[in-house]
Amino acid sequence: MHEVNQALDRFENDDAIAAVVITGNEKAFAAGADIKEMLPLEYKDVVRGNFLAHWDRVTRVTKPVIAAVNGFALGGGCEFAMMCDIIYAGENAQFGQPEIRLGTIPGAGGTQRLIRAVGKSKAMEQILSGDSMPASEALQSGLVSKVLPVAQVVDEAVKLGEKIGKLSPLAIAAAKEAVNISYEVSLKEGLHFEKRLFHGSFATNDRREGMKAFIEKRKASFTNS
Amino acid sequence: MKFVNLIVADWSRVDQFDVIAPRRFREGLTFERCTRTRLRIDVKAHVRRKCPHVLRLSHVIWFHHAITAIVTSSRIYYNFTRMFRPISRLVAFSCRFAAARTFSSASTFENILVDVRGENSNVGVIQLNRPKALNALCDPLMHEVNQALDRFENDDAIAAVVITGNEKAFAAGADIKEMLPLEYKDVVRGNFLAHWDRVTRVTKPVIAAVNGFALGGGCEFAMMCDIIYAGENAQFGQPEIRLGTIPGAGGTQRLIRAVGKSKAMEQILSGDSMPASEALQSGLVSKVLPVAQVVDEAVKLGEKIGKLSPLAIAAAKEAVNISYEVSLKEGLHFEKRLFHGSFATNDRREGMKAFIEKRKASFTNS
Repeated sequence: MHEVNQALDRFENDDAIAAVVITGNEKAFAAGADIKEMLPLEYKDVVRGNFLAHWDRVTRVTKPVIAAVNGFALGGGCEFAMMCDIIYAGENAQFGQPEIRLGTIPGAGGTQRLIRAVGKSKAMEQILSGDSMPASEALQSGLVSKVLPVAQVVDEAVKLGEKIGKLSPLAIAAAKEAVNISYEVSLKEGLHFEKRLFHGSFATNDRREGMKAFIEKRKASFTNS
Repeated sequence: MKFVNLIVADWSRVDQFDVIAPRRFREGLTFERCTRTRLRIDVKAHVRRKCPHVLRLSHVIWFHHAITAIVTSSRIYYNFTRMFRPISRLVAFSCRFAAARTFSSASTFENILVDVRGENSNVGVIQLNRPKALNALCDPLMHEVNQALDRFENDDAIAAVVITGNEKAFAAGADIKEMLPLEYKDVVRGNFLAHWDRVTRVTKPVIAAVNGFALGGGCEFAMMCDIIYAGENAQFGQPEIRLGTIPGAGGTQRLIRAVGKSKAMEQILSGDSMPASEALQSGLVSKVLPVAQVVDEAVKLGEKIGKLSPLAIAAAKEAVNISYEVSLKEGLHFEKRLFHGSFATNDRREGMKAFIEKRKASFTNS
């Protein structure tokens, strides 16, 4: 996770990078946290070491992050995917939170993000039994945006990143921030926040260029300013 | 002569026990004789007995069904439909002498049927039983449900609870005859519906097995449970609006969280209901099953959960439920602290160790 964070830092600071795709291999996105690493830990170790604290760096990336998930996304792997903005799943993808079978609970957001995606009944069923769901069910219940053939998932995620990359990075970052705030505050305050960000976009050249191009029926060229 | 079973894991630890029974029974009988071991049980007074069959790991003693509880030095076993169920004496100590009064009504619910199912008898089942009223929820019924829930909550042998109705209806609403004469002052001063949400405070998983009508209060009751399994004939809806009122037991809050605003508004404002297929597709229920299988599958799910660590189950349930109460940031904070806390349990260590050693974990709820 430290290395992932370093890579994310690098992409965050690189103006040439418009979006980030995170993926595994065809067999597994991530099959969980490392249990051998966790087994010897005691309560004092996890508390004093603030175990898992830095695992959510990806939620603070201002650029869009797309998870391209093939195979197993279980436990920490499912939680990691849910931290991303968008999930594209391969037909063989499996999503689940089996931590309960180890006598513990999801510790990196599984109990909070799964219910927000798929509702209480499905989330409770999975988190309390440890069962997983296939890609089709993940799509139907709102956890992922698309299900694609395994070989195409990463390419499609990259294409989505490219599509987003043609747009104004300022507007993209503001949009992402506004959507994410909906999980934190009431609707009223979320709308308030959104409105202020919307107002702020009028101070950008990209907003003027985008609206002008639309009226002039031409392609906009954004300048991230 | 009807008998009930008492299974004690180690009778050698039981050298003395009291028997609690209704007065008229006690006076008429000096002793019962267990039909299997021929152990003599003196109903009137303390009995010092060492069971001769101490070598067996578990031993079934048959007692007369009128006996309401057996009290040993560490546990109280109370008569609970076909079998004496143990609860910790620490929990029950203060009710020991009230046991006869409390437990004498144990099997005499009027509006519900209570049962314990599963291979290990660890899934409590509460069946709403007002078939003539399509299981319409009334205050007495909800009180009985709460009593049954209290009992299951305190019974360490119970891992999960299933709540169901009959094949025609889960619960077709609240009892309108009961509500009609109430005025504003009655419902406010009586805090009407206040205790109807006891089920949301159960720390063990609660699975609603819904066949037929789950309307109004019935739908709200199902949504209070953790997981909903629906039969193919299930109907979910909030028709209160057609009575000139609104859902009062959570319908306006839980339905939108499950199915989104547009569907929730449509149902709550029109009173229309949705079939099981739509409930599945919109996220209200986890599964749709043939009507005859719903309760069995719910019990199976309870058994599956029952094999896991009760400590972890309760923590997981609490974490998931907090997501409806606080921001994502604070929910993640709460989850992390519960996760850290799980490292202080033997079950966590055993679960991870078993995984690495590629064997089945045996949890001890510690």
